[in-house]
Amino acid sequence: MSDLTNVNFDTMTVAEFEEYLPDLFATGGGKVSEDPRFTKFLAANPDCAALVSDLETIAEHARSLFEPTHEPSDSVWSNIADKLKNGIVGDEDGINGTEHLATE
Amino acid sequence: MGTQGFSTMQPKPNPGLFKRNPPIAGEADAIERAKNGDPDAFSKLYALHKRRVYTLCLRMLGNVSEAEDMTQEAFLHLFRKLGSFRGESAFSTWLHRLTVNLVLMHLRKKGLQLVSLEETINPSEEDAPKRDFGSRDPQLAGSVDRVTLERAVASLPPGYRMVFVLHDVEGFEHNEIATMLECSTGNSKSQLHKARLKLRELLRQPDRLPPVEGLKEVAL
Repeated sequence: MSDLTNVNFDTMTVAEFEEYLPDLFATGGGKVSEDPRFTKFLAANPDCAALVSDLETIAEHARSLFEPTHEPSDSVWSNIADKLKNGIVGDEDGINGTEHLATE
Repeated sequence: MGTQGFSTMQPKPNPGLFKRNPPIAGEADAIERAKNGDPDAFSKLYALHKRRVYTLCLRMLGNVSEAEDMTQEAFLHLFRKLGSFRGESAFSTWLHRLTVNLVLMHLRKKGLQLVSLEETINPSEEDAPKRDFGSRDPQLAGSVDRVTLERAVASLPPGYRMVFVLHDVEGFEHNEIATMLECSTGNSKSQLHKARLKLRELLRQPDRLPPVEGLKEVAL
């Protein structure tokens, strides 16, 4: 990823901004538009400001998807209950050897 | 404004998976009873978490049948591993991580064996977001609703969709995603950025988004 150590955010080009943007979002708390270091650049480059605004809008709305929107059919629990009842929760399910998957 | 260094940037606040996964009423009791073999308690855990697990599987896989199969696998695995849950993280967080890892293992078994996801999650050039940095289309703010965004996410190439769902929806950090996907942190950041750019493209033309078929919507 980009090395932003010596970047002058006031004088960077649009292409440089585009290159840095993934890191800026990743390290800036996701709010590039509110970071005072970019005020001047974004004011001078409205297209970049529009892009930042849109990407922030998308990230904000993505959080609303965290709440579940879909429900499995009733057959899923029926299958689970059948397997538990019959003691089939081992190799037949292809889930042995996956102890590392359940870590805290 | 002078030269600003990377080191002066504010650290990204932890998205707070505990905050996003607050304890559910009755969950702790159900966990303890299920650990002791109470089938009704395990049934309650399923009822409490089936929607989130299934929705996560569906978003990662984009296929109802596979999502139901993986939901089943996740709960069977939960049944076997519940005893190892010590409560050091939110139960939902633990269950979601378990589910994500099972789905990824499933995908690798399907065709990604011995190949790092870093090499395979990158979509084709055709699927990649266009470089329309200078366009002056209307901004998205106020025009994005949940249903449209859901359809747009479903339309993303699988690699983009995976990282977007894990980071922006589920709240995993890039280092966690990198570990799960066996890719670099930089690759995770890059894929997420491309996913958002692609979503921007898709959301600008919502009428062209295909419907998400076969989904049983939950009345919230």
